Amino acid sequence: MNIELRFDPRAKALAYLIGSAAIILTLDLIRLAVLSGVLAALLIGSGLGRRWLRVMRVLLPTLLLFALVAGWSGGYEAAIGAALRLAALVGAGVVFFGLTPPEELGDALLASGIPSQMAFLLEGALRFTPMMGTLAREVYEAQASRGIRFDGRHLLRNGPLLLTPLLLSVVRFADELAEGLETRGFGSPQRTPLREHRLNWRDGALVGVTLLLTILFVW
Amino acid sequence: MNQVVVCDEVTYQYRDGAPGLQRVSLAIEPGEFVVVAGASGSGKSTLCRLLNGLIPHLHGGNLTGRILIEGRDTRLTPPYVLSRSVGLALQNPEAQSLATTVARDLALGPACQGLDRATIAARVREVAALLEIEPLLDRQLVTLSGGELQRVAIGGVLALHPKVLALDEPFAFLDAAGAVRLRETLRLLHQRGVAIIVTEHRLAEVVDLATRMIVLHEGQIVADGAPRAVLARDVSQWGLEAPPLVRLARAAGIDATPLTLDEALEVVSLNGDAPLSPPDDIPATSPVISWEDVSLARDHRTVLRQARLSAAAGEVIGVLGANGAGKTTLLKLGNGLLRPQRGAVRIQGQAIGRRPLWEIARSVGLVGQHPGHMLFAPTVQDELEAGPRALQRLDRAWISHIIDQCRLEPLLRRSPHRLSAGEQRRVAIGAVLASQPSVLLLDEPTAGQDALSRYALRTLLTDIARDGVAVIFATHDTEWAYALCTRWAILNAGMIVASGTPAAICAQPAIIEQARLRLPAEEAIRRQRERHAVDRV
Repeated sequence: MNIELRFDPRAKALAYLIGSAAIILTLDLIRLAVLSGVLAALLIGSGLGRRWLRVMRVLLPTLLLFALVAGWSGGYEAAIGAALRLAALVGAGVVFFGLTPPEELGDALLASGIPSQMAFLLEGALRFTPMMGTLAREVYEAQASRGIRFDGRHLLRNGPLLLTPLLLSVVRFADELAEGLETRGFGSPQRTPLREHRLNWRDGALVGVTLLLTILFVW
Repeated sequence: MNQVVVCDEVTYQYRDGAPGLQRVSLAIEPGEFVVVAGASGSGKSTLCRLLNGLIPHLHGGNLTGRILIEGRDTRLTPPYVLSRSVGLALQNPEAQSLATTVARDLALGPACQGLDRATIAARVREVAALLEIEPLLDRQLVTLSGGELQRVAIGGVLALHPKVLALDEPFAFLDAAGAVRLRETLRLLHQRGVAIIVTEHRLAEVVDLATRMIVLHEGQIVADGAPRAVLARDVSQWGLEAPPLVRLARAAGIDATPLTLDEALEVVSLNGDAPLSPPDDIPATSPVISWEDVSLARDHRTVLRQARLSAAAGEVIGVLGANGAGKTTLLKLGNGLLRPQRGAVRIQGQAIGRRPLWEIARSVGLVGQHPGHMLFAPTVQDELEAGPRALQRLDRAWISHIIDQCRLEPLLRRSPHRLSAGEQRRVAIGAVLASQPSVLLLDEPTAGQDALSRYALRTLLTDIARDGVAVIFATHDTEWAYALCTRWAILNAGMIVASGTPAAICAQPAIIEQARLRLPAEEAIRRQRERHAVDRV
């Protein structure tokens, strides 16, 4: 059994939130580096290192800006801390979302008594976000093929041109999705979770260990 | 009462006032196989959405008359209850991919019915076996081809055990192999007593399986009967195109309505030789665009392998091949959206190398599968001027020529987003041509287009080629490409395995089989007759 199925998604979500709090609240640079090391080991161990790198490549300008602003007011230690914190937060997100299939989370929420529609709202947000990325890329490619420039200063002037077709495509997709859901009987008040979710000692241990580590790092 | 579907004087108007259906009355019995034909906007999709309660429960609007599904009034029954009686597979299978894996997607419907896990698992196994998708069960939906997604979408609604299965243009994005498989699935379901309703523009794909054909025109039923009887009439008055075999028989002056190849052969042999004329080949002069031994791998998979193709001014080249053969990738390499890892793409002899996209756009225009993605201006007129403005080559006289050529005059002041799919495609082509490219690339230009739009597009592309533009498009629509192209290039597993006149390609059965193409009716008859002649000798 792999890590995806070993822990209940609710326990994973709680551990993720506690872990994120630890990253934000750990002020000491050395402790933050150790925490980042733990996350790096988790990323490599779960085979999600490449995915983290891909996200970081996109976020690199933001990361640099973040570090620059922090460094401007607090010196180089603050700059390193800010960059490390952002990279670690992204790492925690990649570990959580990479090891928790959206439907697993939806099923677990259903099992907790959360209404079916509400559970799907969260599940759908996770599930369809990458699809929105694909849609955005298609719109960009279609516009760029016409000679519309989005490089450098052109991005400021022409960027808004992407919005109309993108918004219309998203609205159309949302309409089609709503139809797809209705045709599968999604409006039904009862939906059977496909897996039985019961919190057990392993889940308690996961949350407990994360909490303990957080206290140790933050203290 | 034996009827599963009863529509009684149904009139529907969309929320925005657009007309949907007018006084439609029909009844469908278990075991019927109904093909619903009609031009775009005739009301086919509206009818499908009325049957499972999406209208009015999701779309609102003004509905009068009565629709009964297994005796239940759709207005008073929520869609989740109706979904147990009417399964609807929509046009876009991607929007019906509601889970991450195939097994979970198939399980979603039964789970929403509140069935227990054992029954849900049994339904998933049953549907997977029926559609022969067991090997896909653990696959992520995002990794599936268009044809595979289509089958999973159908499986998703079949898992609900509906009495009626409605499919809205299921063949639009399928290659020949996918279409054959879907036909087989429909035949099987029909044998099992499921009532089937298929809306389709490409009638040849399905009409021989159907027991009944309904034609919708401007929201009204204008013909309803056995397919052969309906097709014996002049269907062009309703914006339809009869299947190619029927058209060929008519062109040969034969008074018959053959729906299958065997029937066509029978009537042809009774009536002598039908006129069969492949289009002329235009000899290639110096190419305006060429792909020279181009290779590209993505996500550890080779998409193109030493692909070699060139096009001269005025040529119309159809790139044909199965889903996933590399057609879209070839086109994207042509305008620089992708860059080759090996080999080179040359425009007028110059390798595009690392030249920026906007610079290549001066010479090569690309219209993708979703033309709506490239339209952003408030009016069609603004849309036509946006590209040339960006490229600093606005020429109003040329734009006037494009407006004439693409017949955009009546649309100029309208928002491009409020046009029909066929009109949007014409605007997109016009917007690309406004920048005066020497090469026009199009990806699946006829997908989802009705007969009139396909005909208009064929005329337009012929005119454009006559102006000296090299036109290259990827398509599954062999029938349409046969009538239009000067040359076909056949892609199989990332390699261009053949290139030549459509007639020359069709004469190579090994290539046709390898690339999983469907022979155009005219060529199918020719080949079959040649085989018969050889057999007689």
